[in-house]
Amino acid sequence: MRVALLVLGLGLAGCAIGKRSLAMPDNDQTTVALLTGTLGHPLDGIARHPWFAVRRAGEHEWHVYEVGGGGTEEDPFRHHSPYGNPMLHKVWRGAAGERAARCIESVAGGVRDRIDRDYIFYPGPNSNTFGDVVLRRCKLSASLPATSVGKDWRGIIGAGVTSERTGLQVETPLVGVKLGLKEGVEVHLMGLSIGVDVWPPAIILPLGPGRLGFADR
Amino acid sequence: MKALLVVTLLAGTAHARDWQGLLDRIQGGSTLHYELTGLSDIDDMATGPDQLVLAGARLHGFISTSRRWAFQGGIDLALGATIQRGGFAYDVALLPVGFVLRLGATSFVGVAGGIGALGATPTADDAMTLPLEAALELGSGVRVLGRARYSYLAFSGTGGASDAILEGMLGLRIGHHYEDFGFPSGNGYFVAASYREQAGERMVGLTIGYSIDLATPRHSRRDAE
Repeated sequence: MRVALLVLGLGLAGCAIGKRSLAMPDNDQTTVALLTGTLGHPLDGIARHPWFAVRRAGEHEWHVYEVGGGGTEEDPFRHHSPYGNPMLHKVWRGAAGERAARCIESVAGGVRDRIDRDYIFYPGPNSNTFGDVVLRRCKLSASLPATSVGKDWRGIIGAGVTSERTGLQVETPLVGVKLGLKEGVEVHLMGLSIGVDVWPPAIILPLGPGRLGFADR
Repeated sequence: MKALLVVTLLAGTAHARDWQGLLDRIQGGSTLHYELTGLSDIDDMATGPDQLVLAGARLHGFISTSRRWAFQGGIDLALGATIQRGGFAYDVALLPVGFVLRLGATSFVGVAGGIGALGATPTADDAMTLPLEAALELGSGVRVLGRARYSYLAFSGTGGASDAILEGMLGLRIGHHYEDFGFPSGNGYFVAASYREQAGERMVGLTIGYSIDLATPRHSRRDAE
């Protein structure tokens, strides 16, 4: 029990080892980045919001795709008001970046319109549902953190391949489960995620960066 | 016909004004706890769980047109395990009926009741419960969190009413207070001492967690007018 308390205590403190640098990559290649930031007080410890930042080779500004915003920005890695404490989850560069940029530009508008029409802050569909749907539609193999509440919203009942593309998930608004080679085991209770991530190893918690262990994939 | 139309429109306007007045007077708040509780028995009995760990969330809210009293409801979900016997444990409750006395910006004391279910394999049978809970949260950034719950075992897997469960928690949150957008709120980590008496066995332990509180500013009916 002491070990369990220690582990969960560290988790509550929000420890994630090896977070990605927020330094922007050079513009010699087309780059797509997936980031999240915290909501305002007092939800900053338990809720994050995602955005995709897309910059074509040679461009200086980033095109931002998200729910409730969008447009062009100079540095959506470190400053994306009103969201705080940004975290970079994945970067696609070169040919992968080109493919990701084309797909996001093509599908993001439609997905956002649908989310806007049916938007419910909790449990979803919300901005995190947008992030997860775009990842899956574009087959981008990435995951949003556990504190992106709404990422697993699939309607009254839904099932399919995970956004990481190495697992399966079944979801209802009350309870859901995700199983995968990288994703490990993740249980969802009313939108809250708890589980064990296989790669990189971490305990998944609905608090802070969403995990205790190594930073996400 | 015109007269009827005018009366209908006036009635509709008055009705809309009543609703707007009611909406202006509504005030309330909510609290959310993420909790991890570890309990160990202090009585050497074979009936109950020796060690129990539960992790879960508690979401409670209150609403009223009064600045002092409010109706409250809540939902509690916790899952876990009996450590040494390797069993699954759960404790869930829906507390739809209750009231609170508001004290300060987001502080309150209150009572709520409802229905729940719990179990811990292989040491405690699945049971339906009728919980009655008293809770208090006092302070803003630094906040005292406490609750006591009596749960009557209305039905258990053994076939009848058998026992009751007593639970208590008292702790301190070290966190922050905010006044963003005109709403008092706060969040932070907390640690608390916990007590549970189940199947004749007393257990003590520790709860660690994260709590959030948020409320509308308190105002009297006169302020709203």
